[in-house]
Amino acid sequence: MSQEVMLPQGWEARWDSQSNAYVYVEQSTGRSQWEVPTQPSYGSSNPSVSPAPQPAASHHRPGRRQYPTAQIQQVYGGGGYDTQPQAQQPMGGASGYPDHNAQQQQPQYFTPGFGGADAQPQQPQQPAYGQQPPSYGGTPAPPYGQQQQPYPGQQPVDQMANQFQQMNVGYGGGAGGGKQLHQIQTVNLIGMQPDVTGLVAPPPPYLLPPNAAVTASPHIQPDPSYQRCTLTSMPTTQSLLNKSKLPLALVMAPYRSFRGEVDGDDPVPVVEDSVIARCRRCRAYINPFVTFIEGGNRWKCCMCGLSNEVPQLFDWNQAENKPADRWARKELNHSVVEFIAPTEYMVRPPQPPVYAFVIDVSQQAIQSGMVAVAARTILESLDNIPNADNRTKVAIIAVSTSLHFFSLPADATEASMLVVSDLTDVFLPKPVDLLVNLTESRPAIESLLGKLSDMFQDSHTVGNALGSGLQAAHQLIGKIGGKIIALTATLPTLGEGALKARDDPKLLGTSKESSLLNAASSFYKTFAIECSKQQVAVDMFLFSTSYTDVATLSCLPRYTAGQTYLYPGFNASRSEDAIKFATEFGKVLSMPMGLEAVIRVRATRGIRMSAFHGNFFIRSTDLLALPVVPTDQNYVIELQLEDDIKGSFVVLQTAILHTTCYGERRIRVITQAMPTTDSISELYGSADQIAIATYLTNKAVERSMSHSLDDARNTVTKNLSDMLAVYKNQVTSSSGASAQLAVPENLKLLPLLCCALVKHVGLREGASIPPDLRAYAQCLLTTLPCQSLVPYIHPRFYSLHNMPNDAGNINETGQMVLPPALNLTSERLERHGLFLIEDSQNIFIWVGHEAVPRLIQDVFGLNNYGELQGGKSTLPILDNPFSQRVNNIVNKTRELRRGVYRPHVYVVKSDAEPALRSWALSLLVEDRMDHMSSYAQYLTTVKNKVNGN
Amino acid sequence: MGGEGWLFLFAVLMAAVLLFTMVFFIIMFSDLECDYINPIDLCNKLNQFVLPEMIAHAFLTLCFLLSGQWLAFLLNAPLVGYNVNKIMAKNHMYDATEIFRTLSGHKKESFIKLGFYLVSFFYYLYRMILALISESD
Repeated sequence: MSQEVMLPQGWEARWDSQSNAYVYVEQSTGRSQWEVPTQPSYGSSNPSVSPAPQPAASHHRPGRRQYPTAQIQQVYGGGGYDTQPQAQQPMGGASGYPDHNAQQQQPQYFTPGFGGADAQPQQPQQPAYGQQPPSYGGTPAPPYGQQQQPYPGQQPVDQMANQFQQMNVGYGGGAGGGKQLHQIQTVNLIGMQPDVTGLVAPPPPYLLPPNAAVTASPHIQPDPSYQRCTLTSMPTTQSLLNKSKLPLALVMAPYRSFRGEVDGDDPVPVVEDSVIARCRRCRAYINPFVTFIEGGNRWKCCMCGLSNEVPQLFDWNQAENKPADRWARKELNHSVVEFIAPTEYMVRPPQPPVYAFVIDVSQQAIQSGMVAVAARTILESLDNIPNADNRTKVAIIAVSTSLHFFSLPADATEASMLVVSDLTDVFLPKPVDLLVNLTESRPAIESLLGKLSDMFQDSHTVGNALGSGLQAAHQLIGKIGGKIIALTATLPTLGEGALKARDDPKLLGTSKESSLLNAASSFYKTFAIECSKQQVAVDMFLFSTSYTDVATLSCLPRYTAGQTYLYPGFNASRSEDAIKFATEFGKVLSMPMGLEAVIRVRATRGIRMSAFHGNFFIRSTDLLALPVVPTDQNYVIELQLEDDIKGSFVVLQTAILHTTCYGERRIRVITQAMPTTDSISELYGSADQIAIATYLTNKAVERSMSHSLDDARNTVTKNLSDMLAVYKNQVTSSSGASAQLAVPENLKLLPLLCCALVKHVGLREGASIPPDLRAYAQCLLTTLPCQSLVPYIHPRFYSLHNMPNDAGNINETGQMVLPPALNLTSERLERHGLFLIEDSQNIFIWVGHEAVPRLIQDVFGLNNYGELQGGKSTLPILDNPFSQRVNNIVNKTRELRRGVYRPHVYVVKSDAEPALRSWALSLLVEDRMDHMSSYAQYLTTVKNKVNGN
Repeated sequence: MGGEGWLFLFAVLMAAVLLFTMVFFIIMFSDLECDYINPIDLCNKLNQFVLPEMIAHAFLTLCFLLSGQWLAFLLNAPLVGYNVNKIMAKNHMYDATEIFRTLSGHKKESFIKLGFYLVSFFYYLYRMILALISESD
């Protein structure tokens, strides 16, 4: 047990046999107390002798040993519990194995106060359970405790997870020189059902040394949604990192949206007096982790150690002419902060936001209704387009076999069309009035949008000169920069950048398939570079009914920091399609733009950014250029250690310099500090499974393009098994083959995520996935922030017909309650049931074919199962509580995550429409699917690799 | 001076030119690493030299083949094959979007080519002198 609680210096734990609990004695004063002490002994502190017995004590009455929970606690509790017969243990062969762990870690967690613990091995106390120390660094408490578990069989797993989680969240107290360590709990995964609720758990805490920050603000570390690291402790040497096989990378969404009303986010604090203190040498921004020296006149940079002058305005409020409180400054209290930048940070006066719409008006686009919906959405969004100071400019170009420009003079009420049919040498037919001020030319824009679709109604042109249209738009807005929004329903076949339908079905499923995921023409790459140079970003909206070469077209958004959106089989006559596109397009249009942005990550000396993944152009070794920063996009930056790291913590700082759409130059700075460690077990204890999964996803997509899909899948599995092999050999120090798969508790869902990843549409084996869908899935895999990426890889699965009473209703705190998430296995599907599977892009409502008519009536308003139509649909809102609850859950799911996506609802009948059915079933990743292994088989594969065969 | 002498004199000059091209490439790559040049300019600049370098080398190899210098030809043939393969796969040009990811590979390739041209320079020089000596005999 000694590894469970680490006492601060000067404390000792003694067993009190009368009360069956530990009593803690402060050695210097002889004072005793029941609570686990968290403060080191200072000789005299207020003696709080609390007689409160520890709740945990009651758990371990000998009579209750048969309960699985107690047994697990015992198993993990220490050496003294092998009296339990092996056969009765529900954990399978897990018994002897934690002892290894315990013994190995003994010296590391050894504290003087616990010297006697081994001498009293019969005591089943686990003070850590009962005494929950305050959670560290504002980390939210784990949400498990409240979750109801509907399956008795799952209970031990969940309870165990709860216990582990609690242990991890609390700090272990200060050992030795005040250095805190993560507690490693080893769990065996073989034969256990994964606890999927753990996917929303926060990363392991950053156990910073005390006084690392100059202020005691709770906001000195960023929220994981802004930035998280695959390891929450930094290894001190590269060789240690290499030895551990753990990846070291930052996962960030620095310009993530702010949803105060849904998530209760705090807005980013803004430093308004444009006093920006930066290190003279490394250009780092002042942050909570610097140290003030020379009586507070100078500050020492936490990255390079240079001493810099503190600006006088830190202590003097110039506006009100009175002394100011330096410690109240936002940059010293907040990890995420925005500075208003003075003119030195501008290359030119802040430019207005510019939107150029390039709309495909070929016959197919008109027929699908795309043009009509797009025009109507733009029209409706004209008030929402960021236009705070009436400077926003707009241009509209329609593209079919020729380019149609629209002259929109400020005083006109009608637009006039100018047609250019020269596609090879694109020129602008008119120097003015093509790119116009949105406010001034509003009447002309409105009238044009109102009739855009009708204008081309009768044209029967087949062919799309998208490339030329993009070039024209680029010429039009290149001088200012801004955003090109391209909407196309057909493959570009004319002019510059013409593409061929190259989706040869013979290539699918072979090693050559990766060529279909790479760009077919270099035009889009070269053009992307041109755009990036002139601060133009491109968003692609693709409406395919047939092959549109997403892989090639998505190059443009990838290198210009845009985003690709795909609407397969779009048909506006289906209201679901139209609503989905209109909602998402409207959100994209109203999204605030950060223009002319650059991102740079700075870090403590010795750390180097070695590779970058995401949608941007890498302008120099450490500078990312983004013509427009999109909200809620994810970037992954790999780190390397060039030199050994000396200090007790390191600081990583991301800065985005951008122009807001209301003409202000701003710098958003995100500072993160991490403790250093030289122990491999501490590295494993601090690994963040979600961040690692995000990193592996990006690496796998990159690999699938440069090598092959097969290779990408193998890389994921190999990385995972390498990590676990090192963990097994170095941390648990058990050698030789083993029947178990040992993983640290904080990585216990990583194998599940890896298993789901290799079965994801973007990487899945098989010849049945259209290359467009695959390419689009890969775009999403590399751009979705963790919050959406995790469900995209590992969908959420709820059972609706027997959900708890509070699910689908609003609880006391005003939050919509979702049903408990289930494991993704078809064992959970019942023939009479109603289930919901969602992967943040689609929602599937699964209806069992023996569903009682009452259920069908309540939810769908139909008489029986036979009348029910499968496919894309909208759930009716009926006048009964169950229908309302189901609708509430669907709506909650849609707004659960940041981002513009509005998932479709598909009704899946369990005995009809095999394609839709197998699509929905393919999301149940714990199952065996075609010849892809089930979760259990995957674990066995990994275990065999870990064992070295 | 006979045919062989002239051939190797030409080869020496070509090897020297190729040598300098490679030195230029390596300098440019280090410039990129030190942030003296941006990747777009770098690629525009280097891409002008990629094909000329390959053609020059292929031409030299062809000369060896036609004049029956088998050893010299065999020495150069693998590199010609490598270049042709690269052109066929369409990845002979430097790509500004990928350059940072592939930089270490490009540098390594340039260094190997540099070494190769250096060795061949001295080999051609030796053969030239040999040819001149055998003529004067």
